[in-house]
Amino acid sequence: MKNRLKVLRAERDWTQAQLADALDVSRQTINAIETGKFDPSLPLAFRAARLFALRIEEIFHDEDRSSLATEIKKDTYA
Amino acid sequence: MNQLKPPQNGYQSRIRTSTIRLAQWNGAWLAATALMAFGPKFLWNKTLVFTLLAVGLDVAVGVGMILATKKYILGLDELQQKVYLNALAIAVGVGLIASVPYSVMGSYGVIPFKADVSHLIMLMSLTFVVSFLYGTWRYR
Repeated sequence: MKNRLKVLRAERDWTQAQLADALDVSRQTINAIETGKFDPSLPLAFRAARLFALRIEEIFHDEDRSSLATEIKKDTYA
Repeated sequence: MNQLKPPQNGYQSRIRTSTIRLAQWNGAWLAATALMAFGPKFLWNKTLVFTLLAVGLDVAVGVGMILATKKYILGLDELQQKVYLNALAIAVGVGLIASVPYSVMGSYGVIPFKADVSHLIMLMSLTFVVSFLYGTWRYR
């Protein structure tokens, strides 16, 4: 699963430690999510969405689904 | 662009407090176990009542340590819980798998020393530490 956590954090000039504390997790967890090593649970994804005032799918998206959507677009406009 | 600082929940300080409490319970259990193991010989000359009291104290502190560990794990975030529980699962598995052959080797004199449960505890502790460090390194 891909995510925009690093970009959203950078836009607000927050450190990983600040974001971790805001989401009530460790800095290691934020780093693992940002680098794609760990997928967050649904409750944590909801907390992130609430914090950034965005929808979950605006932060997290499934890689397979994204590539599938790209394929469909390609086929549609071919 | 929002430059406001995010809200703080104090996760780090909460985990620090919880870790210190768990370490205190571990220390207490170690002390109670030492008292139970060495007390009969060195402190009360094998008086049964004192030995039974020491056993009761060790079990009671052991239960407290288990509850403190449970509380500690529940306080961890989801990734740290995953790393901790993976390490525990590997340690328990290794302990279980190693215990039977070790006991058989002890019974048939394959090993030149007495097969003692403390060896298994050491093996499980070491396995837990290695697994935990590996898990932490993997998601660093």
